[in-house]
Amino acid sequence: MKTGIIKDIILFLLLIALQVFLLDRINIFGVATPILYIYFLIKMPLGSNRFYVIISGFLLGLIIDIFMNTPGMNAAATTVVAAFREPIIKLIYTRDAYDELTPSMNTDSKSFIRLSISLVLLHQILLFLIESFTLFNIELTLLRIVSSSILTLLIIFAVDALFGKKSVVSEF
Amino acid sequence: MRNLIKFIIRSSHWIVATLLVAFSFYLVFSHNSYQRSVYLTSANHVIGTFYSISDKVNSFFHLRKNNTLLLEHNARLETEVQVLKETINRFASDSINAAIFTNDSVTSSQFNFIPAEVVNVSFSGPNNFMTLNKGKLQGVKPDMGVISQSGIAGVILSVSDHFSVVIPIVNPKFRVSGKRKNSINSGSIVWGGIDINYAELRELPKHETFLKGDTVVTSFSRIFPKDMIIGFINKQVPSADDKFNAFEIKLATDFHSIREVMVIEDMYYDELNALETIVEE
Repeated sequence: MKTGIIKDIILFLLLIALQVFLLDRINIFGVATPILYIYFLIKMPLGSNRFYVIISGFLLGLIIDIFMNTPGMNAAATTVVAAFREPIIKLIYTRDAYDELTPSMNTDSKSFIRLSISLVLLHQILLFLIESFTLFNIELTLLRIVSSSILTLLIIFAVDALFGKKSVVSEF
Repeated sequence: MRNLIKFIIRSSHWIVATLLVAFSFYLVFSHNSYQRSVYLTSANHVIGTFYSISDKVNSFFHLRKNNTLLLEHNARLETEVQVLKETINRFASDSINAAIFTNDSVTSSQFNFIPAEVVNVSFSGPNNFMTLNKGKLQGVKPDMGVISQSGIAGVILSVSDHFSVVIPIVNPKFRVSGKRKNSINSGSIVWGGIDINYAELRELPKHETFLKGDTVVTSFSRIFPKDMIIGFINKQVPSADDKFNAFEIKLATDFHSIREVMVIEDMYYDELNALETIVEE
């Protein structure tokens, strides 16, 4: 349990640094920006405490907000995703999937991909809708959502396929 | 009653989530550009320090480009010095009145420039901003204009002791009035939301014509001195309203490579402001 929390904190800080110092500066064709920090919520064990998921999601979004000068936007989107994580997992995983299982590309790739797509899409939709409340036209917003989601998902699958393996090996 | 308590316990995580989301939305809507909290933005000292470190690493990658820029700038100044020297020489050699050009009537300027360095930029969506490494202690205040070496860049939004956040032209919240150089009709500069190289000059009268490459400068502004370069007209674009003309302009400031800027301090800002407030009341 203890090592789990330390692992979470390291991943938490790593994703924030990556997002703020590197990914936020990527902007392909003026529309697609990878928003990777949501990976933190995907990678939590299936049966994680609900409060733990929601509050860490909120903190994650809030810290990203402070760095990016967008008070509340990422926090709101990420909290909603964190709250809906459990119902979505119930839809995707079978009842007998055990609670300690961490979603991963290398163990159950089909469910992992489905979980990632649902969470990332939900997150991006919320994020861009909040961001463009009054300002911009709907086509541009849709284009942003779709292209950013695809980019984010590609990075998530690649990162997980590369680094997910290690943790599986070390568990044996 | 027991069922109600059971319900509350069972769904308490939803309640927590709802409260947190409500709080987040409160932050979203309460951050009016003028009373924005310094603590929750990158003007915050801790965040500012993080960004300065990241900027130090980054700046190594830009050294070559900045060197060329500085050289060019230097060359331009050198030329100017030569021209001025020649002018002085001409006056000094052929006239006894040269004294009038060298007397000490140094008039104090209305505008004072504070050099600053950009330590962070965010140009990936509609909510663009920049962070500068000068703050309250160096005399930077909200609502001051910011210019780059080639044109106007933005306006100060919030300041902490050592850092300040700038709303650049390429943010939908930014507004400034501009006009074609040598024209008397002013319109307003608005950013279109996609390309950070271009903005639009809107609300010009129908009869206003242009040539490609015409310079667009600031007109009436409380923030910028008159006739500062904003950009250059590229083409005419359809206007939302049929009564006006709109032009697309290429911004003079290159936001992709912006690093050194100057903050404009207007000596008479408070005085003007006070005067206009009285009139409005």
